[in-house]
Amino acid sequence: MRVPLSWLREYVDVELSPEQLAERLTLLGMEVQAIEQWGADWRSVVVGELLTVEKHPHADRLHLTTVSVGSGEPLHIVCGANNIAPGQRVPVALPGAVLPGGRRIERTEKMGIASEGMLCSGDELHITTDADGILILPPATPLGRDLSELYGDVVLDVDVKPNRGDALCLVGLAREVAAATGATVRWPEIAVEEAGEPVTDRLRVEIREPELCTRFVGRWVSGAKIGPSPDWVQMRLQAAGMRPINNVVDAANYVMLELGKPTHTFNGATVHDGTIIVRRALPGERLETLDHIERELTPDTLIIADPEGPIGIAGVMGGFDSEITDATTEIAIESAVFDPVSIRRTGHRYALRSEASLRFEKGQEARLARIGADRVAQLTVAWAGGSIARGRIDTAPTEPVSARLAFRPARVSKLLGASISVDEQRDLLRRVGVETEAAPTGTRIQVAVEPKALVVDAGSEEVLVAVVPTWRRDLAIEADVAEEIARVRGYETTPAHLPETLMPAYRPSPLTVREIVRGALAGAGLSEVVTHALVSPLDEARLLWPEDADEPALPAQLVAQSGVEIAVTNPLSAQHSVLRQHLAASLLDVLSLNERQGRPDVAIFEIGKRYAGVDGGPREWTRLGLLLSGAAEPASWNRTARQYDLDDAKGILELLCRRLGLPEPSYVPDTRGFPFHPGRALLARQEAGNEAVAGRLAELHPDALAEWDLRAQRVIVAEIAIAGLDVATPRRIHVEPIPRFPEVERDLAVIVAEARTAAEVEACIRSHGGNLLRRVRLFDLYRGAPLAATEKSLAYRLVFGAKDRTLTEADLDAVTAEVTRGLKQELGAHLRS
Amino acid sequence: MDFESLSGDLRRLKERALGEIAKVADPAALEQLQIQYLGKKGDLTAVLRGIGALPAEDRPRVGAVANEVDEAVRGALAERGTELRNVMQAQRLAAEQVDVTLPGRAVPRGTLHPIPETIAAIAEVFGQFGFVVYEGPEVEDDLTNFQMLNIALDHPARDLWDTLYVDIPGHLLRTHTSPGQIRVMQSTRPPIRALLPGRCFRYEAVDASHGFEFFQVEGLMVDEGTSMADLKGLLDEFAHALFGPRKTRFRPGYYPFTEPSVAFDVECVVCGGVGCPACSKSGWMTILGAGMVHPVVLQYGGIDPERYQGFAFGMGVERISNLRHAVPDLRYYLENDLRFLEQFR
Repeated sequence: MRVPLSWLREYVDVELSPEQLAERLTLLGMEVQAIEQWGADWRSVVVGELLTVEKHPHADRLHLTTVSVGSGEPLHIVCGANNIAPGQRVPVALPGAVLPGGRRIERTEKMGIASEGMLCSGDELHITTDADGILILPPATPLGRDLSELYGDVVLDVDVKPNRGDALCLVGLAREVAAATGATVRWPEIAVEEAGEPVTDRLRVEIREPELCTRFVGRWVSGAKIGPSPDWVQMRLQAAGMRPINNVVDAANYVMLELGKPTHTFNGATVHDGTIIVRRALPGERLETLDHIERELTPDTLIIADPEGPIGIAGVMGGFDSEITDATTEIAIESAVFDPVSIRRTGHRYALRSEASLRFEKGQEARLARIGADRVAQLTVAWAGGSIARGRIDTAPTEPVSARLAFRPARVSKLLGASISVDEQRDLLRRVGVETEAAPTGTRIQVAVEPKALVVDAGSEEVLVAVVPTWRRDLAIEADVAEEIARVRGYETTPAHLPETLMPAYRPSPLTVREIVRGALAGAGLSEVVTHALVSPLDEARLLWPEDADEPALPAQLVAQSGVEIAVTNPLSAQHSVLRQHLAASLLDVLSLNERQGRPDVAIFEIGKRYAGVDGGPREWTRLGLLLSGAAEPASWNRTARQYDLDDAKGILELLCRRLGLPEPSYVPDTRGFPFHPGRALLARQEAGNEAVAGRLAELHPDALAEWDLRAQRVIVAEIAIAGLDVATPRRIHVEPIPRFPEVERDLAVIVAEARTAAEVEACIRSHGGNLLRRVRLFDLYRGAPLAATEKSLAYRLVFGAKDRTLTEADLDAVTAEVTRGLKQELGAHLRS
Repeated sequence: MDFESLSGDLRRLKERALGEIAKVADPAALEQLQIQYLGKKGDLTAVLRGIGALPAEDRPRVGAVANEVDEAVRGALAERGTELRNVMQAQRLAAEQVDVTLPGRAVPRGTLHPIPETIAAIAEVFGQFGFVVYEGPEVEDDLTNFQMLNIALDHPARDLWDTLYVDIPGHLLRTHTSPGQIRVMQSTRPPIRALLPGRCFRYEAVDASHGFEFFQVEGLMVDEGTSMADLKGLLDEFAHALFGPRKTRFRPGYYPFTEPSVAFDVECVVCGGVGCPACSKSGWMTILGAGMVHPVVLQYGGIDPERYQGFAFGMGVERISNLRHAVPDLRYYLENDLRFLEQFR
């Protein structure tokens, strides 16, 4: 809400500087987001007096004027307006002046005659909306003064919180200023001079939805003459951010800003039978609203109608046909209270929010319906003439009394952690208009209201009753009273100390395993990324990442269940409209972005979620995603470049397993093809019963790279489930005693057919190695002469040991023979000698 | 053969040996000389063979001379050996000189993203005060995200959270981490000290200071007598831990799920409180919102508001990170341009 200080001062004295006032209001909860100098952009615009006004010799529509600006020679200025005459005081933009919108005024020539500046219209200065005539200033306006000194203002931009609809107006903010400074609030003098026939002769009001329209106050003004509002009114509205329309509409807007009471004025001549009906719209009814949009009304819309049909959407926007026009003389004033929820829903339904509906949504004080109607009528005749019909229509003339709210001062102190005496609490409340009195015995305390109401007995504690002003509809429970006391006292007085209460029980943190993974991967040269969870459904479709749940090789307890894509029903864009079901596409997007920035070497990881709808409910799984592309080791002065390949991804996974104290994974080929390279994709898992890691590691198929328009030749992608990523499951490393007897090594070069995998060979060695075999490590892979083209040689180092003795050659020979036999029998392998 | 001629032979042998040792230039030749002069079949032994022909009384005298020669030659050999080794080592070292100003062999360097890093930093501080980490679902139900937090279906405050809805009835993408308060209270009993980091979503167009996905950390503490003074004390510690010794303040705020509600401000990290464009000339920067848990919320969490009271706070992770690292644009975080990420090494 924009608050011009000069306007605010009408209702409360302000001794503070704008900065001090802003600070005090902010600390009271009325956050001032900006302090604006209204008129700061009228640079070099001064008050001048027209000395002469003559016709321009070469142009009918132009005038030659001489203007005194107080000092120096009179200026010769050419002007196109027709409302000027000698003796008038007018705003003069001197050469060099810059007007709102950045328009620069220079010495010019107009039709052969020099012009030393410009006379300004109200529109050119953004003071009023009159663009045709020059702004004529009052005769007493001091000559030569800067216009910004005279009409400039300070405007505070106040962020009024949704619970304080009562402060969305100048009087409301004046009350807050008074609470901060101790000043007194001055209400505007509201006096209605009635004349002529009774209002009931002109206006009838029928409420068909008393739940949705709890009060309707109507007044009638006859014989008004529509025209622009007085300049000072237009200036105030402009400074407050509202565009002046005409003297009647401005009166309603002025009252909305002054009192927070939205009202509506209808062209009375267009209201058939002078009858206003508040009802729900009927199916098929249509209305062209003030913004010239024809709207189809839905039956749950509360409307203002006459016997012929809709004339306005209640509380939101009036109808075009009943708007005040230049020819209007009869004016029907509506000052009503509508159900906030109904107004809010209507606003959403038509994507139509107005200053009025914003205020209705926050709830309206019933009393203001009467006061607002009177004030609009008063200002209408003051600015547009005419007379106010006698009396008002009022559908609910009995006004509610102040609410009484019981509270325990000791509870207030306990909640705030500050000891505040009962007397001080009462004084603080008085400053916001809340009187207090002793509570009758047996008064119960409202701890909470709907939707979870709680009322308790006070027991032996002292209880006070707060008499809540009618405008403070937000004060409903004891804690609300505590907040009033705290904010008026000033939160800077809140003591600060560390809690002395009990500590909670230990709980393993879900961050622990992630921290280990993050540290290990960053140490291994990967950069962490955080990408969008919302992705494009196209990305999901074009990558066709396989379902983990379909893989018998993967442990069921680790993999994500198959499910349906979860879609956003009101997405911002198709690009981000579904929750991702795997991390790979997001990582490919990161690669793509960095390739375009000339950064083809990308090694990244993300610990993020994948999502799916399972059995009608949402499910989320935390996963580790990896992407490797480009150089693993970039070329350097002492090293040639090496490109990332699948082995790097496996090595990283093996590193992780060691860091997490998990057994090494084993690999199962995945030859499905797209989106993977058919010969370079695998499933990683651990032995049954010990499964803590499962996932896919693959080089992507070239067609998948083409889908992403990537330049990279090879991209390695992995998505891995790790037990403990979601909730930490602590693991312990059990230490084996250091062997007392030396270990011995044997190297075996195993020649097998190409089709045999390393995993098969190693498994075979282990299964035949007996309990003396401790470790097996592949250290060489050889193809070529003298081997056949269909063969390869895998060289393993086997480490043997026993707990109770040094092994002999005979021991080793026996084990080696058994391993050799097994390899030959099961894999058709033989040893290279 | 007499004593004179034999000792003369020995002295000449010594002279010749010393002369050759001085001239020798490599260790192998030096070893040859050792064998030639002092070896079992060496020259010294050969000369001493003549000792048998001497009278008995001369033999000890020749022996003394021979010892002297042996020592002198041995000494010269050792000395020359040391000299040669020193020379050769010096030559090797000289030949091995490198340009030490060349850059080192690069160890692959990864980086950690500022969002999880900031979450970890926040969790570290509150962890010291007994706050344990929980996580709630990102696809939340409307009840927990709004209604149980005292935000009814048509509450005007719903405008504070522009919501993205999903095609699972009754569900939405959580607009804040606050529903975690309900989930924690429903799953454990006081004393509660919980921290809830996570991803949130809002219907918000993307620009330098807005995004439709962002991260928050929620805090919740509930116990008998937990007060606003406890909240202020903890938040002061937090602000000092992350931003150094700076002034802090509470000012009134508004959230439907806390009463009273406050905003927590820290002296501007850019200007130090003098006032600058970064703090809109106020000298203060708001780093989080907080308040005392609303009795309605406590009850939905299954906690009796007459017995227990508590506070909650919620902060934007990007906001904290922006202030710590002077990140100028919110879009940097989810774009993952390596030129941004690599600055966090």
